[in-house]
Amino acid sequence: MASRAINGRFDAGATGGRWLDAYCAAAPTGDMLCHATAQDRAAWEAAFEELAGVPGNTLAAARERAQRHSDDIGTAYRAAGENEERRWPLSPVPLLIGADEWRGIADGMAERADLFESVIADIHGGQRLVADGVLPAMLVTGSPLFLRPMVGLVPPGGHQLHFMAADLCRGPDGRWRVLADHVRVPVGAGYALENRLAIGRTLGGLPSRMNIERHAPFFAAMRAGIAAACRRAEPRIGLLTSGKLNPSYPEQAHLARYLGFLLVEGADLAVRDDQLYVRTIAGLKRIDALWRRIDPRLIDPLAFDANSTIGVPGLVDAMAAGNVVIANAPGVGVLESPAFAAFLPALGERLLGRAPSLSSIGTWWCGRAEDRARVLASLDQLVVGPAFAGPVAELAGPVLGASLDAAARGRLATAMALRPQDYVGQEVAELSTMPTVCDGGLLPRPFSLRVFAARGGDGRWVVLPGGFVRIGDQPDARAAVMGEGSWSADVIVHGPDPVAPVSLLQPTDSVELRRNPGTLPSRVADNMFWLGRYLERGEALLGVIRVLFGHSISADTGAALAPATVERLVTIIADTGAAGRPPSHRRRDLVDFAREAMESVDGWGSVRAINRLATGIGGVSRDRLSLDMVRLLDAPYPVTGTLLDRAGTLQRRYAALAGLSAEHMGRTDAWRFHDLGRRIERAMAATRTLLGVDLRRASAEDLSTLLDLADSQISYRQRYLMGFARVPVIDLIALDPGNPRGIAFQVETIVGHLAKLPVLNDAGIAEPQQRIAARLTASIAMTSAERLDRGWVLEINQQLQKLSDAIATRYFLQGAQPLREAGLTLA
Amino acid sequence: MMRYAIRHITRFDYAEAAGFARCNLRLRPILWSGQALEDYALLVEPGGHTEPARAQAGLANVTRLVVERPERMLTIESRATVRVERPIPLPSPTDPTLAEIRAMMAEVADAGPASPVSYLFPSAHVPIVPEIAAWCAEDLADDRGILDVAIALARRIQRDFAFDPTATLVDTPIAEAFAKRGGVCQDFAQIMLSGLRGAGLSAAYCSGYLRTLPPPGQERLVGADATHAWVLVWAGPVLGWVGVDPTNGIWMAEDHVVMAIGRDYADIAPIDGVVLGSGAQTMQVSVDVEPLPVG
Repeated sequence: MASRAINGRFDAGATGGRWLDAYCAAAPTGDMLCHATAQDRAAWEAAFEELAGVPGNTLAAARERAQRHSDDIGTAYRAAGENEERRWPLSPVPLLIGADEWRGIADGMAERADLFESVIADIHGGQRLVADGVLPAMLVTGSPLFLRPMVGLVPPGGHQLHFMAADLCRGPDGRWRVLADHVRVPVGAGYALENRLAIGRTLGGLPSRMNIERHAPFFAAMRAGIAAACRRAEPRIGLLTSGKLNPSYPEQAHLARYLGFLLVEGADLAVRDDQLYVRTIAGLKRIDALWRRIDPRLIDPLAFDANSTIGVPGLVDAMAAGNVVIANAPGVGVLESPAFAAFLPALGERLLGRAPSLSSIGTWWCGRAEDRARVLASLDQLVVGPAFAGPVAELAGPVLGASLDAAARGRLATAMALRPQDYVGQEVAELSTMPTVCDGGLLPRPFSLRVFAARGGDGRWVVLPGGFVRIGDQPDARAAVMGEGSWSADVIVHGPDPVAPVSLLQPTDSVELRRNPGTLPSRVADNMFWLGRYLERGEALLGVIRVLFGHSISADTGAALAPATVERLVTIIADTGAAGRPPSHRRRDLVDFAREAMESVDGWGSVRAINRLATGIGGVSRDRLSLDMVRLLDAPYPVTGTLLDRAGTLQRRYAALAGLSAEHMGRTDAWRFHDLGRRIERAMAATRTLLGVDLRRASAEDLSTLLDLADSQISYRQRYLMGFARVPVIDLIALDPGNPRGIAFQVETIVGHLAKLPVLNDAGIAEPQQRIAARLTASIAMTSAERLDRGWVLEINQQLQKLSDAIATRYFLQGAQPLREAGLTLA
Repeated sequence: MMRYAIRHITRFDYAEAAGFARCNLRLRPILWSGQALEDYALLVEPGGHTEPARAQAGLANVTRLVVERPERMLTIESRATVRVERPIPLPSPTDPTLAEIRAMMAEVADAGPASPVSYLFPSAHVPIVPEIAAWCAEDLADDRGILDVAIALARRIQRDFAFDPTATLVDTPIAEAFAKRGGVCQDFAQIMLSGLRGAGLSAAYCSGYLRTLPPPGQERLVGADATHAWVLVWAGPVLGWVGVDPTNGIWMAEDHVVMAIGRDYADIAPIDGVVLGSGAQTMQVSVDVEPLPVG
């Protein structure tokens, strides 16, 4: 392949070539790069030229750049049991696989998926394979993922499997084999998408130089495959998640957005008369299919685990009635047992007429006497582990037989004599290596490849051209097999033929134009509304703190404000519950007071606590917010600089969020709820500000402070050339519809939003939230700044509170918790 | 031969009216060797919609109950007339040994709900616990006959464990009940299951009823006036499933009526499900097992 033009100070081709030569001097037999065919080698060279062209032209710079793109895309994961998301470790060097080699993998995966479908259809059907002795009965009943209630149930569309993944390894001889199958909850396709995006940005020139197979057609096919099984021609499809604490929640949110699926939790769903519905702001809406990303045992407390609180009662009945497609069907996890691999050749012979071309690594199930003898005799060459999921006597998980001493082997043999069916022996696979960036240089490291297959609209399997690679951080291949790889990399399938550009944005099948897309689940409306309220509340509280200290802290005097004004500001802050009253107005006490209001971690009132609530909602609303908003919400609470610096940092962050929500969010119902939250909170803050002042006898300083708190100084000065006067200030804050910080403006906006939201009855009778909003409008219209008194402000404040409650009652799920008591039990 | 009239009443009271209730009822006694159901009725107050449920994890007659608008109270009454004719098993030197049972199990080509391999593996409430396995192992030598072992282990549990309803709750892990050496029939049955499965044997959880009235001159049996639970042990293809009651240290015979069989309690809880509602819930159960004249 021709070298690229000289790029500034150095020749990228020459640099990349030097890296390649140095790498191959050390790479072992079977390395993906050094032992590639001439055509594949050219592809690697092109990739390295791109890498060398990355600004900084060192490998460390390329690695940093790839990682930064990955972070920018928002790729993250959460380790089980952890609350914080971790960055996704992405290596800048993709794995390149030529189209010919890939075809073997893809055909093998499709064949394997067909075989798996036939086997699970039999297990959930007549169990002929068991009766005829092809599959031992224990392989079925031994798996905790076998769900007996599924036996006898034919899923709508006739297929149990719509999506599966497998971890593959490549031996030094170039042969690909399967390490593990994933059918219960196959994860990682979102990471494959995100890796591709990040690598595309890092190695920007690569796509135009190589014929790279795209990802989009695969996902379009999968969507079509699920849709084909649905009863309605234009089905509504949900991605069923267990929520934010699931390790792959960020991936799920990304996929839901990419595929146009509704991201739903169990509490969003309800079954009535064997139909599945999602609770939306416009009432119950039918759902035709679920891409299930939660443990199948938890999806329906009436079918499986009665103690599940995240499932949907009756879901399996709805599936049995043919009304809901669940992809994949519950119970398919029985195929994942490590012991299953020992029977795949025989199952293939029986069901396909041949052993599967993509075989598993060598596996011996100790439930067969001859296999057990073999495993015990050759422990040094094998991995020994549980045959099904979960720990077994003497083994918490798979271990290298060679690592067991004589005493441990004795205990293992004794345990196996009692329950041989619990154990499996597996060959220790030798792995090919691929280049990865380590310590500023390129080093060969063993890898495994996760590939994905989906059932297309015609029922046939489609394999994602690519996937993702996990790279061990140790040169020892066995360690890579046993543990999680510490780096991931993109997988690029390249070929001689040009690839037509396809994106999900222009799918092959026709799509109806939608200006206000989707259906807004009540839970999401609830979250968006409260996100708006919390952000506005935090901003308002910061504003009061800044007014208090803009004068008294920065100035040496410490008391630029009159004592009465300081007292009012203190009252406003203390009344929100942000902090307890200071013992005095001395500077030290006020600083402590402000610090508590800013940073207290007790209770719900401080800026920090409000910020935490907003961040929490941001975490569960990834599918509804722009990445920039998510990143701002996720940004850590500022801890450096003075109190005033930190307040400033936060205020700028909130202002940026307000700007993004006003200018970048689509005018969907989700945005409307977000803005409703903001408007109600802002109007309430204005009433609190007015209540802090004696409206009849306000001093010039009171009025100036009022304008500061309402962020309306500039509006006032534009309207009035004179100094502060009582009536104009009150008018501007309360009644002037032209002041975007004033009460009247908020109410007008609220009325506009409510008119655009769905209503339950179409008889023209106003719903409670509309009646309250109308009453607020009337209150504003029927008073004047001269007559406006404390009673009026109190009334507005109460009506706003009622409005918030009425919106919650009408549109959100009833109550904050699902009203569900699971597992009625009887002694 | 014995005949019984069984009345099993469960009453739920709610602090606030519930939204709706959906339950699985596993109350109607199953067809099982040695017993026949002469008559059965299920009464629900206030009325609800019932239908046979499709989903079953064990051997049970599952009825789905849907109550759209429950009042503050829900009463479920199950009435059964059952005839029992079941001989007391007699251990014999020709019974299969434990080693033989394990080998027979490997030959079973049936994964159905009555197959021994369906009750061989740990389940949600019956994990294999090393301490329990070790304690039970004293009675579980490879060369002993299966019936001999079953009654010996049941008697040792009856002897060494205290019947103490305050010791455990319905969801107390078996390791905890074992450490306390106390509990109720459910705990004893599940501990015994864990010990047997740990030794590579197949054993199922059986729920049902025990006759209320003691025979004249004998002590009243523990477990009366409530549902009862015991163990079925698989004794090879010829003997099949044999029942043994570790709470009382006796065989299952004509005093026991089988209601349902599962891997553990969770498979065959007499009533479970979902109630939509916000208030607290209390539950009362009464069970009456009345012997009837045979004829």
